[in-house]
Amino acid sequence: MRVVSRKVTIGFLCLVFSPLAVSSYAQQPADAVKVVQVMGFADVKANAKGNLKLENGNLQFSDSKAKSEVSITSVDDVITGNDSQRVFRGTFGTMTLLAPYGGGRFLSLFRSKLDTLSIQYRDAGGGLHGAIFTMPVGKADPFKKLLVAQGARTSVPIQDDSNNTAPKAGAAKEQKP
Amino acid sequence: MKRKPKITVATFLLFGMFLGVTEFHAQAAPPPVKKVSAIQVLMIQSEEVKLPAEFQISLYENLIKQLQKQGGFEHIYRDGDKTATGDVVILRSTVRGFKKGSEMARQVTTVAGKTSIDVHCQFTDKDGATVLENDVNGKVRFLGGNLRATLDFAKKAAKITRENFSMKSGS
Repeated sequence: MRVVSRKVTIGFLCLVFSPLAVSSYAQQPADAVKVVQVMGFADVKANAKGNLKLENGNLQFSDSKAKSEVSITSVDDVITGNDSQRVFRGTFGTMTLLAPYGGGRFLSLFRSKLDTLSIQYRDAGGGLHGAIFTMPVGKADPFKKLLVAQGARTSVPIQDDSNNTAPKAGAAKEQKP
Repeated sequence: MKRKPKITVATFLLFGMFLGVTEFHAQAAPPPVKKVSAIQVLMIQSEEVKLPAEFQISLYENLIKQLQKQGGFEHIYRDGDKTATGDVVILRSTVRGFKKGSEMARQVTTVAGKTSIDVHCQFTDKDGATVLENDVNGKVRFLGGNLRATLDFAKKAAKITRENFSMKSGS
């Protein structure tokens, strides 16, 4: 009886703690982030949706069609920022602009916030490239920390990043001659 | 009869002025720029104006893409490219003005929320001597996100570059 009850207890404990084991496993590839590659990354098409992750010292973007990567040590600068975009985008978004009674304008008011990650990297010949990614809010800063920890350089310290990338009200105004 | 000398003097003065103006124009005209087979695009600088990083990168990448698209050069080198040799003109771009508008304001009001970027483009030869200078503006008024202003700039700058330096341009 004792052996059976022990087995039951162990089984019960395994069941109780199994979600924790699964969540820790889920955190393992937390450096993979769903992004939209706006422009500039290797040979990826503009506005391609995919996953951005750090693997074997490389910054890797992969979508359903292609996979391309850049060495993290070749990254000269990483800067994060924030922006917003229309909830209704693409062809449907354009068509909403034709909606009667200002319906399209009304729908334009619905916007979602997002983070931007801008990187500058050099190719084998020393040529400078720039790439822009957008990702869900709150994902850019942790990703930048990971990148910097693995050897990427940045011109803006991590804690000051959010303050510096957003243009200040005075600075953003057009300069008059 | 007394008027004749006055008319003659006035005619000479007018003729003299015409000659002077012609000569002045001849002096003011910039020297003809040399056609080249390659161009090197340097990273956009923005020392005077605080420019978000995504705009800086977008300006640079769009400029290179438009130069490739419009053609006219055998090679388009990036900033820091070690293989950039031979007959090459260097394009330095400095942001002089930036106004970040609002896509939402543009779509809701139609008249407000314009994004505008003013960029000073300087073309130099390999020795650093200025060959041509030009101010180019990029803007987005109606459709598209704020970064679309960088595409507008890139198209205009690439056109100027092609017209002035490309061997394949008509002029």
